[in-house]
Amino acid sequence: MTEANNKKGFWQSFELSALVAITGIIVLFSSAVIVTLIAPNFVDPTWTQPTTPYQVQMHEISDPNFYISSSPIQPEEIQAVYHLKNGFTLLAFQESYTTRILASKELEKYVTRYQSSTPLKLTSKVLLLRPPADKSKADALQKELNEEWKKSNPKETSPNFVILELFEPKENEAFAVAPTDGVLEDWVDENFVILDKNNQHSYHNDPGVIFINNPLEYKVQYITYFGKKGWLYDPAGEPIASLEQLKGGDMGFRSRQELIQIGETIYAHEGCWYCHTDQTRTLVQDVVLNGSDSFPAPPSSPNEYIYNRITFPGTHRIGPDLSRVGIKRPSRDWHRSHFWSPKTASKGSIMPAFQHFFDEDPRGSSVRTTGIPNYKFEAIYQYLMTKGTRITPPTQAWWLGKDPINTINLIEGARSK
Amino acid sequence: MTVSTTTSAQPTYNDTAVKWMVYPAIIFMILGMFFGVFIAFNGLVFPDYFSGEYVHFGKVRPVHVGHVTLLWLLSANVGLFYYFIPRLCGVPLWSTRLAITSSILWWATLIPMVYSFPLGTNSGWEYAEIPEFLGYIPTKALFAFSWILTVINLTMTIATRKFEKMYVSLWYTMGTMLWTTFTILVGVWGIWLVPGGISRVNVNFFYVHNLVGLIFTPMGLAQAYYFLPKFANTPIYSHKLSMIGFWTIAFTYAWIGSHHILHGPISQWLQTTAIVFSIWLFIPVWSVVYNLFSTLRQKWYLYNESVPIRFIIMGVIFYLITCVQGPLQALRNVSEITSKNDWIIGHSHISLFATFTFFAIAGIYWVIPAITKKPLWSQRLASWHFNLSLLGSIPFIAPLWIGGFLRGMLWATWADGSTYAEYHANLAALPFIDTVAEMHYWWMTRAYGGLIILFANSIFVINMYNTILLPARHAPQEVTA
Repeated sequence: MTEANNKKGFWQSFELSALVAITGIIVLFSSAVIVTLIAPNFVDPTWTQPTTPYQVQMHEISDPNFYISSSPIQPEEIQAVYHLKNGFTLLAFQESYTTRILASKELEKYVTRYQSSTPLKLTSKVLLLRPPADKSKADALQKELNEEWKKSNPKETSPNFVILELFEPKENEAFAVAPTDGVLEDWVDENFVILDKNNQHSYHNDPGVIFINNPLEYKVQYITYFGKKGWLYDPAGEPIASLEQLKGGDMGFRSRQELIQIGETIYAHEGCWYCHTDQTRTLVQDVVLNGSDSFPAPPSSPNEYIYNRITFPGTHRIGPDLSRVGIKRPSRDWHRSHFWSPKTASKGSIMPAFQHFFDEDPRGSSVRTTGIPNYKFEAIYQYLMTKGTRITPPTQAWWLGKDPINTINLIEGARSK
Repeated sequence: MTVSTTTSAQPTYNDTAVKWMVYPAIIFMILGMFFGVFIAFNGLVFPDYFSGEYVHFGKVRPVHVGHVTLLWLLSANVGLFYYFIPRLCGVPLWSTRLAITSSILWWATLIPMVYSFPLGTNSGWEYAEIPEFLGYIPTKALFAFSWILTVINLTMTIATRKFEKMYVSLWYTMGTMLWTTFTILVGVWGIWLVPGGISRVNVNFFYVHNLVGLIFTPMGLAQAYYFLPKFANTPIYSHKLSMIGFWTIAFTYAWIGSHHILHGPISQWLQTTAIVFSIWLFIPVWSVVYNLFSTLRQKWYLYNESVPIRFIIMGVIFYLITCVQGPLQALRNVSEITSKNDWIIGHSHISLFATFTFFAIAGIYWVIPAITKKPLWSQRLASWHFNLSLLGSIPFIAPLWIGGFLRGMLWATWADGSTYAEYHANLAALPFIDTVAEMHYWWMTRAYGGLIILFANSIFVINMYNTILLPARHAPQEVTA
């Protein structure tokens, strides 16, 4: 054993082989980092680019402007409110057999009339529908429609015709309710026209656009309920003055984007990802299990995850895969009873109950067996509903052209030999 | 160069730093195992028996993992570094005061972070769950800083060493210090620099694999290479072979992260790269196993005489098993069956428990009598500890493999049919939940195996603390440090 000379300096005390070793380790390690961590972002475009304009618009246009809350007085009824912005939000005023629109001469051009052959008219001007101010006009139309119905269907009672009036609010923004399932948005990719060419946002030039159909002005009434201040949706109430009021403490609306982000955080905090994977693998078992009875599901592609802050592909499937849960289990009611008591909702389940996603019913007499969903439930529900629903627009079959492993041939071809 | 020659002309070593790391780590091992047994029962055997926001499976699992990986294994490994690095260098630790400072910072940040998980601080990345902030305190950064202080301390000790030649354990230590620092930087902060989505997943799996492969593996092997020759009082079989093992680890490990997401949403060429490098792993593994077995080649009777040698040798055998599994699991067709079920959980437990915990335990059996200068309180308890640990390992790990494999087979083969519709109908006829029910008895066996291991290691803790706290029962033997 020879001992090193202690008078040597710091650097001399490292022998050459040690320096070579350290350099070697760094070179080997960095080359792996460059090839496996940095290069793929530049080599494989699916890692960073979205699948369709629908995916982009859901994230950038719809999510930040779609607000959800529930009245403390009627907590069972979820309130979904659109924030409309001039020059940004695309609106359609579309008549159907039972929905008719009254419009003044200036606004007539924005209405897509029932049975007209014109393409769907969209506008980025803020316009709204409301119950007609002038009752006589509406009554006359109602009468006319009823008579028309009686002529063609003499034996049946006539349907409830809804007659609305189109008007232009003074402000540049507005708050509206529209028919929605809260998960998918109205989408049009052919046979449409956007009016107001001088009032355009860049997304209006996409090959398809998200729009809001027949928005009604959102109005609320403030009431005191057992000494507690509250509010209720009421078409005859007061309009919402500003976004601050909508998001403020009394009403507590959160945008779908905020909810999805909170949901992602809850998914991390609650450790959902220890038991559920979020990837449909390129295996027959996965694509068939997540698919429908006629077509396999597309396997997960990197671009489905580009808007996530955290992604949970998962390593263990104690519970089923969740990458297509928005398609397979879209029902809010199903998730509600399942989170409340998984063992009851799904027999044989070993999933823990998540009753902290619910509040006690303030009225103390819920007709339901579960609590009242709180924002945590809305958040995790909205987060789960992004899974599988945004790959293709709702007008397209989502599985078409997305079966790289050729599942059907694999199953049917293998047997026919 | 052999370890046995380093015993000449001993300087006096101050082992306060070792105590600061190893003593608490032993307690956290048993706590970590307790949390593991708790979730094995409460999560899977009697699902959700203790129910609620703070005790359900998803909240307690990271507490278990945080204990066994960080509070126990990493801490114990650092404590053992503080013991054997000065002795391999022939100089006292560069700064005991710095070591105590970094240990205080280590425990003060790590304990609150691990115990905060039930309150909702899990950051959502596997093995990187510990939160960035607790309140306004940047706990993760402080913890990383504490690691940097440890690295500085050990590097300076090596730099000022008296013995010119470096034993293989020092190589592994230096490798660990470099790799760990890089791995933590990449996995914890670098992950936010790449675009959201699969890029971050890729970085995370890189980090996950390197945490095991470039931190616990070299740390554990450094211990095995140091303590086995010590216990057996015999030189290592081949220094050259150990170098081959070291450099192949350095060459392969960093490339194989994406084998965790085979068949998943990640580029095929990246999966193939990971598979190729995973196969290379056979080289370091066989070289390590051959080397350690051969070290004992003339002295197999020691296996019967010494409990720590039994721990190391059994650890090596389990290491061999886990590392045969590893590269094979990375093959696409094997992965189709073994991935995403309890097989993987079995794989991670055999490496972290039956291999690296066994190595660390053997090290502690050497270190504690050496630093307290008292003989082990009870050899019989030590013997029981080994026997029960080994006995518990079988029902602990085997059901995870068998049950996981059967479940994987069920998933892959449960459906059949000549048309797609028929195939899908068959698949839907056997609901997923039935494959959960299949696991019940395997999970139960695993939980009982875990109980045995918990009991075995309770004996270990009692034995160790009696050694530390009680006066020596026997006349002190000559303790070689």
